[in-house]
Amino acid sequence: MNWRDWQARQAVVELGDRFLSYVDLGEGRPVVLLHGIPTWGFLWSGLAPALALKHRVLVPDLLGYGYSDRRDAFDRSVARQAEAVDAWMDRLGVKDAVVVGHDVGGGVALHLAVRFPQRVDRLCLMDSVCYDAWPGELMIQLGHHGVVKKLSAEAVYRLLKVAAKRGGFAKAPPDGLVEGLLAPYATEVGKVSLVRNAVALNTNHTQELAPRLGQLSVPVLILWGEDDAFLSSKYGERLAWDIPGAKYVKVPDARHFVMWDAPHVVATELYRFLGVEAPEETGVAR
Amino acid sequence: MALTRQVSKREAEGEVERIYHELQQTLRVTGVDVSLRMWAAFPRFFEAMWETLLPNVETRAFEKAADNLRDEALEVAADWEPLGAWDAVTLGASQRFHVKGVLELYGALQPKVLLMASAVRLALTDEPVGLKGVPGTVERLERGVPPRMAAMEWVPDRPDDPRLRALFSDVVKSVGPPAVPGEFRALALWPEYLEAAWRRLKPKLREDEFTQEVESLRQSARRQARALPYEVVLSRERVHALGEDAAAVFRVTDALERRLPVLLLNLAQLMLDAPEVERHPFPGATRRVPAWAAEEALR
Repeated sequence: MNWRDWQARQAVVELGDRFLSYVDLGEGRPVVLLHGIPTWGFLWSGLAPALALKHRVLVPDLLGYGYSDRRDAFDRSVARQAEAVDAWMDRLGVKDAVVVGHDVGGGVALHLAVRFPQRVDRLCLMDSVCYDAWPGELMIQLGHHGVVKKLSAEAVYRLLKVAAKRGGFAKAPPDGLVEGLLAPYATEVGKVSLVRNAVALNTNHTQELAPRLGQLSVPVLILWGEDDAFLSSKYGERLAWDIPGAKYVKVPDARHFVMWDAPHVVATELYRFLGVEAPEETGVAR
Repeated sequence: MALTRQVSKREAEGEVERIYHELQQTLRVTGVDVSLRMWAAFPRFFEAMWETLLPNVETRAFEKAADNLRDEALEVAADWEPLGAWDAVTLGASQRFHVKGVLELYGALQPKVLLMASAVRLALTDEPVGLKGVPGTVERLERGVPPRMAAMEWVPDRPDDPRLRALFSDVVKSVGPPAVPGEFRALALWPEYLEAAWRRLKPKLREDEFTQEVESLRQSARRQARALPYEVVLSRERVHALGEDAAAVFRVTDALERRLPVLLLNLAQLMLDAPEVERHPFPGATRRVPAWAAEEALR
């Protein structure tokens, strides 16, 4: 599925002055997939249809990302994002869900699990921001307000494309994937929004959760690309140590975008985690 | 006509950067549109223009005059055959939400820019513009961008996509110079919709009736400009004295004033074509002046 097809599937809800776009696929137990930076819901365009064979899969663009609200007028921290996801689930009438978060989406998922525990039925963290593992050097630089003036949207786009292709994948990503992941940020508005997203990356917002991780009482699965160059797998191990009963799976031959490097492994692990037998054919590459 | 440079928000420095901020806050809009960016290529003129127009632009009277122009365009377009572009394309719910946002953004902005262009065009030909009111004596509007207004997001004016490039070139050829209009660059984020819209808008441009309505709208804008509450003090001599190319400034202004009624009539058709687009988007609230500031002013 290309990014325009994904975008065409998006619905939208208004949350006060903000709005949030999302894809809603399949039926059954709700599974919420949260993306990170600098991506959007399209990150899950490979895995979501596979999970939707037996679940209702909900994929929002976080505020400031993708085709959700990107106006330059609000906070985009993981703490605030969790509040927005809570409000969005409320609007959709989704009482609780299996929440899967990647990268910054993992930080949002952690906030949801700790602060809105009634929303999280099960929690899966993939190559997630946590503790003081983030933000990375590139994101720190991107978050400088001067970038808005100094770099064109085209320059930022090129920079991120190179960074994603060099460090994000263990093997060549599918044609058009990286371009699709960055498509919403190719304009000046997109660039500014991305800069604001980057400056909202705040170590304190995961450090504040660290003392409370031991209180999580839902089943937790931690999936991590073994060779993740952006977020070291040692943080996955640490999460597994701190969260009671958490299952940790280190995915071989995979980097940060583990759901694209090892789609079959990720789909299989998720189906197992959900306690549902995976369909014979999920549509993801082995 | 040679293409005039546009000053992007990223390039804007000094006074132009300040005026861009004030324009956004006073016009209450999320970005600085193409027409204003073209004027900014003449920075000393731009500063003088803003100095004399600001007292008018921040008034309720200016907003009402702009509302009247939009209403006129909508009334005219309502008598024409429905465009049918909205139903002709397959867009998702979020995409339609974004397109509506663009239509409301430009619906709010474009009549105001037309009014500004008319005022400047008249002033540059030594016609009296505005009444002789004392600045600050009529109702002013709250500054600031409405929280629900769409971001002003554009594709580049020379996009990579050859189909879009050809469409943009056709648009400029049809609606006139000096550059690809902002609403077209915004709607190009949904190329199928823009293509469907342009395919339907373009034939209308060639009709005599359309040309007459454009002229009528232009004259209305001039009438509204003449009746603005405060005098607009600007002339070619002044522009020349400021060290700008007065002839070039006039050419750009004249081109803008000629084509903005065309664009407003196009926009009106798009607004009527899409369901539930607000006809008076983002009305301004009266500016509240703290008691101590009012007392200070009286003293």
